[in-house]
Amino acid sequence: MTAAPGSRTPTSRTAYAVAALALLAFLAVPLVGITNNAIRLLLTTFLWVTTSLAWNLLGGVTGQVSFGFAVFYGLGAYTAGLSINGGVNPYAAIAAGGAVAAFGSLLIGLPTFRLRGPYFAIATIGVNEAVRIVMSNLEITGGASGLRLLQAGRFSQAEHYYAALGVAALAFLVSWRVMHSTFGLALRAIREDQDAAADVGVHPFRCKLAVHALAACLTGLAGGVFAHYSAYIHPDGVFAFATSTSILLMPVIGGLGTLSGPVIGAAVYSIVQEEMVVNFPQFHLLLYGALLILIMLFEPGGLAGLWRRLARRLRGRNAADPGAGIAAQQQPTGGGS
Amino acid sequence: MGLDDLLNLFVAAILLAGIYTTMSIGMTVIYGVMKMVNLAHAGFMMLGAYFALEMSERLHIDPLVSSVLAVPVFFLLGVATHRSMVRFVPVADEPTLPSLLLLFGLWLVLQNVGYGVWGADDRSIFSALTMATFQFKGIVVPVIRLIVFGIALLSLVALHLFLHHTWFGRSVRALTQNREAGQLAGIDTGRTAMLTFGLGIAFTGLAGALLANLYSFTPEFGSSFMLRSFVITVLGGLESFSGVAIGAVIVALIETFSILVVPASYQHAISFILLVVALLVLPGGIEGLLQRWRRLG
Repeated sequence: MTAAPGSRTPTSRTAYAVAALALLAFLAVPLVGITNNAIRLLLTTFLWVTTSLAWNLLGGVTGQVSFGFAVFYGLGAYTAGLSINGGVNPYAAIAAGGAVAAFGSLLIGLPTFRLRGPYFAIATIGVNEAVRIVMSNLEITGGASGLRLLQAGRFSQAEHYYAALGVAALAFLVSWRVMHSTFGLALRAIREDQDAAADVGVHPFRCKLAVHALAACLTGLAGGVFAHYSAYIHPDGVFAFATSTSILLMPVIGGLGTLSGPVIGAAVYSIVQEEMVVNFPQFHLLLYGALLILIMLFEPGGLAGLWRRLARRLRGRNAADPGAGIAAQQQPTGGGS
Repeated sequence: MGLDDLLNLFVAAILLAGIYTTMSIGMTVIYGVMKMVNLAHAGFMMLGAYFALEMSERLHIDPLVSSVLAVPVFFLLGVATHRSMVRFVPVADEPTLPSLLLLFGLWLVLQNVGYGVWGADDRSIFSALTMATFQFKGIVVPVIRLIVFGIALLSLVALHLFLHHTWFGRSVRALTQNREAGQLAGIDTGRTAMLTFGLGIAFTGLAGALLANLYSFTPEFGSSFMLRSFVITVLGGLESFSGVAIGAVIVALIETFSILVVPASYQHAISFILLVVALLVLPGGIEGLLQRWRRLG
């Protein structure tokens, strides 16, 4: 670890500058008159960036694999949808979606995080199925036929675009703050060795609950923005197991435990998904499964890890690696390079 | 609701428990030795089901016989999976992130290969036995379920003898109890892990083929059964072979009798509710509960 929490190294100053420039560029995008379709693609990318960064906080930084993030995405979407239909201001409704998702995360985390072992990962698979089934059968949510949102006023794509950009920027800022704080250090310590972390005063149970709630809240906000934008949601979309799979896949592709990895992963995913859905609607899950296997066998650090490895080779010397992604300690024993 | 009906449900639950045990034991041996949650469980069960289908349609082999044939075939498949992928991910005392994601990816691949090869249509296996039943003092027993129960029971007896009377079985039990001590005693962990993975997949394939005799299936087949296997192994205490049988009986009983009170559309959510209850009330599983009692008594 080269950068102590909170310090301003030259790298972090460059990173601030890059992030600020990117934000300005994205703010200007709707003004320069690109096609609606490109704006839509950017909008979905922002939503995926948000969920990807959120999953990364729990899975990448803390090392707790969840297969059930669609639950939070769906809870956010349905809370926002029902509130908007009830006449609540859309942005208050989206915020409520985040709050409900965070609350839901406690219901999963409280029984499972107290235990050692694979209980959390197993429970998340179950909770995803159970919630989808309940949502498909509830009267109030419209059941399996979905929920149509009643919206006042004209549809403005730019408005939705800025909302999505807003949550993505928020997710980025939160991830940044967390990863450069003592809280982030505690999370990383839990990932490396929970017992050692507990010995130096970290409370693993509380930390896991907190980061799970934080990640769920961000995912719920993204779900809320999605519901507000698409104006129609149904359980087999937002609560689908495939949605959970996508949410976990993006940070894995990009590079777990890093800040740039999940963003890159989400961007790559959105573009590939766009092409795949048009050309091979049947086989995108096959591709994602194969990708997961290949990444785990050959480059657990994802694209960010691959980039670091290439950069190191180009420089021709074994440069110290400040990013400290997940690749460092979880290199496969025999399958790499 | 007469006594006969309750008795019928009870017999049905016990018959179900047999196949549930076989289905979950594969997951338990793999977890015990390698501390990996086999998330590809559902994929291998689905392959087992289609294996029985293909054998009966193409080679006209009885589906029950081909269930037994599935054991060696899936053993080799498991060994090959271990050799080519699983042995490269790190192991620890808890499932590692790469092992979870690798096996999850394998599940996605198997499922979608299934869609590619067999399509999304519902398939089922019909044989002369499918509809046959016999009566015993007012209890109606479907013949096929009884035979499936018998095969499941035989496989468990065979596993028990294997674990207790061979050196490989001893190393499996030793590594399950204490990995480091086992290594210190000179167990070849790599080889044991490979054979264990084969063994676990063999049982998974057998269970899939047996279940194909009872239910219709699609490439999606297995995911609800995988969830049940999770619940059963958690109830059993994750690493205990006898706990699995108890867990299977509990799950089968609750599932069968819940038909009386829970609406059909929520049936699938029952496994999950059971899982949460098990985690809250019995984090160590049945086995842990028994141990606590023994210590207190």
